[in-house]
Amino acid sequence: MSTKRKRQSIYGLLFLAIMLFTGTLSPVRGQAEEDTYLIATDVTFAPFEFQNEEGEYVGIDVELLAAIAEDQGFDYELAPMNFSAGLQALEANQVDGMIAAMGITPEREESFNFSDPYFESGPVLAVRDDNAEITSYDDLDGKTLAVKVGTTGAEFAAELAEDYDIAISQFEDSATMYEDVLAGHSDGAIEDYPVMAYAIQQGLDLRFPEEPELGDEYGFAVNQGQNPELLEMFNAGLANVLEDGTYDEIVERYLGDSSEVAPRSGFFGLFQANFGDLMTGLRRTLILTLVAFAISLVAGTIIGLFSATPSKVLNVIANIYVTILRGIPLIVLAFFMYFTVPQLFGIQISAFTAGIITLSLNTTAYIAEQVRGGLAAVDKGQLEAARSLGLPYAVAMRKVVLPQAVKIMIPSLINQFVITLKDTSILSVIGIVELTQTGRIIIARSYQSGAMWIIVGFIYLVIITLLTKLSNRVERRLMRND
Amino acid sequence: MTKLRTEALRKSFGDLEVLKGLDLEVTEGEVVVIIGPSGSGKSTFLRCMNLLEEVNEGRVIVDDVDLTDPKQDINKIRQNIGMVFQQFNLFPHLNVMENITMAPKQLKDLSGDDARTLGTRLLDSVGMSDKADAYPSSLSGGQKQRVAIARALAMEPDIMLFDEPTSALDPEMVGEVLAVMKKLAQDGMTMVVVTHEMGFAREMADRVIFMDEGLIVEKGTPEQLFGDPQNERTRDFLDKIL
Repeated sequence: MSTKRKRQSIYGLLFLAIMLFTGTLSPVRGQAEEDTYLIATDVTFAPFEFQNEEGEYVGIDVELLAAIAEDQGFDYELAPMNFSAGLQALEANQVDGMIAAMGITPEREESFNFSDPYFESGPVLAVRDDNAEITSYDDLDGKTLAVKVGTTGAEFAAELAEDYDIAISQFEDSATMYEDVLAGHSDGAIEDYPVMAYAIQQGLDLRFPEEPELGDEYGFAVNQGQNPELLEMFNAGLANVLEDGTYDEIVERYLGDSSEVAPRSGFFGLFQANFGDLMTGLRRTLILTLVAFAISLVAGTIIGLFSATPSKVLNVIANIYVTILRGIPLIVLAFFMYFTVPQLFGIQISAFTAGIITLSLNTTAYIAEQVRGGLAAVDKGQLEAARSLGLPYAVAMRKVVLPQAVKIMIPSLINQFVITLKDTSILSVIGIVELTQTGRIIIARSYQSGAMWIIVGFIYLVIITLLTKLSNRVERRLMRND
Repeated sequence: MTKLRTEALRKSFGDLEVLKGLDLEVTEGEVVVIIGPSGSGKSTFLRCMNLLEEVNEGRVIVDDVDLTDPKQDINKIRQNIGMVFQQFNLFPHLNVMENITMAPKQLKDLSGDDARTLGTRLLDSVGMSDKADAYPSSLSGGQKQRVAIARALAMEPDIMLFDEPTSALDPEMVGEVLAVMKKLAQDGMTMVVVTHEMGFAREMADRVIFMDEGLIVEKGTPEQLFGDPQNERTRDFLDKIL
């Protein structure tokens, strides 16, 4: 009895150690840290927010927020995530505020409270520079437009679609949307004018067939009824930075004639310049994979054993778990963990924790099935021989059947590890900056998607090949005695 | 003194009744050999004696303890009943020594040294001490079965059950396994053996049981059963195999 309890507490400590090691526990904001506001922003929306080559977040929104925070003396932490994910995070109180070149619209005002407007803008239509066909909105019949989910640009495209026969493709971030037009999938994109103008200035081969629409104003948002003091401080600070010229300086830096044009580097130049960021992203990908896989290995084994026991109740529990978790796409599960769970239970979960939980729940289901199959593949005479010696069922399974099942399972476990590693890329949707998301961020500032996706793909390929080679060596060692 | 007793034992697989009320008494130190055509239920009967097969009706009593009573700790009782299987069922992921010492280490909290001493003694007794560190995959069938016997003896049982221990062996290996079993019988072990080795039955059995279609058809000493079988079915069976 005492050894069993000891083992349980060791597992518990191990789990805790893993959580602490990876920092999944630390980002959860408790009462003590209430003075630090978590502010959502878009990952890729130059010149309002984007990462520079030093890996720092810069842009009009970012600097404006910094100036206002300094003026008003509050602390904040920036949480970059896709625009629509940011809206959901704000609604779920996962973040305290959001600054992401967000137009103040009546619909949004139903959910959020907005600051005074800090920027005037409006959507504009952009087409490829060499597109001679589209010279006005009237040429859009039968064409496809790219928009970003949840933006005023998307609303404007919907309005255009009432007058013209337009198909609409929805994207999660601006860079992908531009690339869709450049690659010729979409005929045009609708995007806020300053953002588009900045991108074209940075070397994107697009042009405007029509004058920009006007009347859109950007505001800083908090959830309806939440953090009123933050909104007040923002308004007061905004008035001050407008007054003392800081605001004009910031805008001039990004949209003025003197703003810097990023040099377009070659393939290796791009890799070299972003090596640090890519390695940070890769490290996060590996941590997500290893932690989730370690948890899943333990949990999957337990659930796999459930389905192998003679107990009908445990069989059913295992069956229900596997059916549900295999039946839900990973991306839906990720949204559920990060947005629905906090609303249902009134708790806050960091994106990284939500990501680990999502990946673990999913991988556990698959490993449980592999364990079940592995156990079934062990000759039943093995269990009989062990039981005939007087070993209790649990001991017989642990010492005799499971070790043999594990050997049978190793090839499929290696396969599952590779799948889990690749699945981490899906977690970018809740704002985890792993390798894929890192690629998106770099594209957002370099506008070089073609080369970047080759680089990202290559890194995945190299890592997975290395890990597979390593696991095959481990497998050979384990098999030596058979 | 009665060591093992079955009373009106019945067992069905689905609708098929394979044991139709079996009564048997085995006294201490006795060697009982069960013979009969395949499908007669003799292996199932043997597997009921340590409850590897669930019993539907009747009782199995070992040392005055009823195994079919759910309140009894079956794991405790099984430690006292060794079993040897047709397919050996050695643990392929453990070496020969570990195969033998695993159960005593788990169940008797034996130290590594004590377990090794025990293992060496048992391997000696089956003539396998030079293979202590070998893995089962490198052994011949006869060697595997001798290790399996040593493993079944590791919990120091009073009763040994043998389920067709030589049926999976090449003919030239049958002898070495039978020799180990003979020595065990001579040392006074209570044994129940299901086998097709009539030579062993004739030489070593105190009593021979003939089973057919889930019933004990005839029982007696080897001289009675082989020399002067009373039942027609027994005669038919013996005519075919001898």
